[in-house]
Amino acid sequence: METNELKELFAAYDAKLDRALQLNESSLKKIKLDRIHKQTRWISVLRSIEVVSFSILAVILGSFIADNWAVAHLAVSGVILHVFTLIALAGSIGQLVLLQQIDYAKPIVEIRKKIELVNSHALLFLKLVFLSAPIWWAYPVVALNYFFNIDIYPHIDPDFVVKYVAVNALLVFPLLWFLSKLTYKNLHIKWVRKTIGFFTGTKTKKSLEFLNEIEEFEK
Amino acid sequence: MKANKKDRFITLIDEHKKIIYKIVNSYCPNRADRKDLEQEIIIQLWRAFDKYDPDYKYSTWMYLIALNTAISFYRKEKKWYAKTDFLSDDSIFGLADEDHEDGVELNQNIKLLQDFIHNLKELDKALMLLYLEEKNYEEIGEILGITKTNVGTKIGRIKLKLKKEFKK
Repeated sequence: METNELKELFAAYDAKLDRALQLNESSLKKIKLDRIHKQTRWISVLRSIEVVSFSILAVILGSFIADNWAVAHLAVSGVILHVFTLIALAGSIGQLVLLQQIDYAKPIVEIRKKIELVNSHALLFLKLVFLSAPIWWAYPVVALNYFFNIDIYPHIDPDFVVKYVAVNALLVFPLLWFLSKLTYKNLHIKWVRKTIGFFTGTKTKKSLEFLNEIEEFEK
Repeated sequence: MKANKKDRFITLIDEHKKIIYKIVNSYCPNRADRKDLEQEIIIQLWRAFDKYDPDYKYSTWMYLIALNTAISFYRKEKKWYAKTDFLSDDSIFGLADEDHEDGVELNQNIKLLQDFIHNLKELDKALMLLYLEEKNYEEIGEILGITKTNVGTKIGRIKLKLKKEFKK
């Protein structure tokens, strides 16, 4: 079949609809037009909770750093956690901005990208969790000091600390390489697909696949 | 005042009902989903009605919203739609019975056409619908958000696919 034939067929279909299609007005009037789109509202609420939570955490960590500025290991641990909190906060604010920009009267590709970026938000958290792997020690150091006023650092064997820092320093570059691979552009690589699917679930994976499809479409 | 707005909206939907009907039928092979999608499109059109940009033709504006909604619907978990309570049980469209001599043959051909469109990827589906509607490349590009040249390239690829498909 040629496209001309397809167009003729479509025109015939169109003409048939002209003759036969009727609007069921009473049914149209029954639709509750003013109901708010529940799902979009729910995502906005979730992201707003994230923004508030990370903002509170950022303030708490800022005050923790100020209070312990003179104690190097506490200040460094606090700064590390603060940086991660600020990255997460920026990510959540970005999501709220994207949600505000979703307007179905805008071009399809632009809107689809925004929606899929909202749907694939879990990937940012996955990356943050992996990225913080070499400095996981910062969490107990800060948490124990903040909540129970316990400083565990003096109780740790200094030799262990040196080895831990050295091993983790070696891990930084492979980790950065690993994280740079975790994007929708690399979904054709089996381990990338499996890692993302395993840690973030089907919904995120599907969104990333669609982002890939959009990029292909734009070429 | 509000009733007036609703009346204008209903008139607009009536004038352009074919657009919604064709999009719904292209994106939903399942009859139960079709009813949900047509209502979701109506809701999105109503939400955007006040913000209508007069730079667009009504049909272009309607295509933008209906196609965006259809692609979102297609990609969304259907469970959400099943749970919502604002969907009416009736379809807003009806087809009058036709006793034309060519009715049966036309239906078979339309089915063939719909099968072909159903099998395209979501964005290609939108592109094909607009192309079959005789929209020019510029307008198709405007609705999809891609360049005019890209529209031409993509249509060329779909044409090739179409040839292969119907040679089988």
